Amino acid sequence: MYDTLLFLHVLTAFMLGAAAVMSSAIALGAPASGRTMFVSDRLEDLGATGTLVLGVWLGLYVDGYSLGDGWIVGAIGLWLGAATMTLLARPGFHDDGVTDRAKLMHWVRTALIVGILVLMVWKPGA
Amino acid sequence: MSGALAAVRPDAWDLPLFLHILGAMTLVGGLALAATALAAAGRDGEAAAARLGYRALLLAALPGWIAMRVTAQWLLDEQGLEGSEVAWIEIGFITSEPLLLFLVGALVLSGMAARRDPARVRRLARVAAVLVGVLLVAYVVAVWAMTTKPA
Repeated sequence: MYDTLLFLHVLTAFMLGAAAVMSSAIALGAPASGRTMFVSDRLEDLGATGTLVLGVWLGLYVDGYSLGDGWIVGAIGLWLGAATMTLLARPGFHDDGVTDRAKLMHWVRTALIVGILVLMVWKPGA
Repeated sequence: MSGALAAVRPDAWDLPLFLHILGAMTLVGGLALAATALAAAGRDGEAAAARLGYRALLLAALPGWIAMRVTAQWLLDEQGLEGSEVAWIEIGFITSEPLLLFLVGALVLSGMAARRDPARVRRLARVAAVLVGVLLVAYVVAVWAMTTKPA
């Protein structure tokens, strides 16, 4: 059970990371089609939902972790920030370009996702 | 409650592990973008889509592969696992080094497709898309091996 949860948690984290790479290419001016943005958005939806749900599940399942641990609370806070940035950025991504505001929101979101990875690896206070 | 114990890891492993995962995520993200673009180029014969696939492989997937592989070696050294034959490390090697040929092959084919007429773009991009698809499946297996660590 633990192995399955951890695998799916990391797999969805990779989906989130892949979506960040795809969105970054579009924000940097790659000529993205509607299909590319659709794939990126779905990877992000699945990745964001999966990392949170499976991460909370792992936090409850594993002895030695608690949802009140600082690094888990911090990660959930960064996840909420990244999700908010996604909601603000997505309307600014179009077939023919990306608005400056959406680019800013995208880079903040990407930095928050990297921040979550930092917390997941270093686990400060664990 | 569960019975699964929280993993304890020496601090010295944290930086190479972080860079290893970041590199692997960049690799997979570049492959996902390339797969989408090359599939479109294979269908419509658009050189612009083939060019996007080529750039995704050159500027994201390949640097991601290098970062992932270099930091994997760093981690093996830190953990004293150099030369180990446990299954999850073997799977890691199989999905990185031999399959680099697939990545290079997809890179060359997509680069050629970006400069050809639509009929050739379709053919080259389709083959490149298949190679990229194989790589994506292989890296899902690698993620499974790295997280569950089968003996």
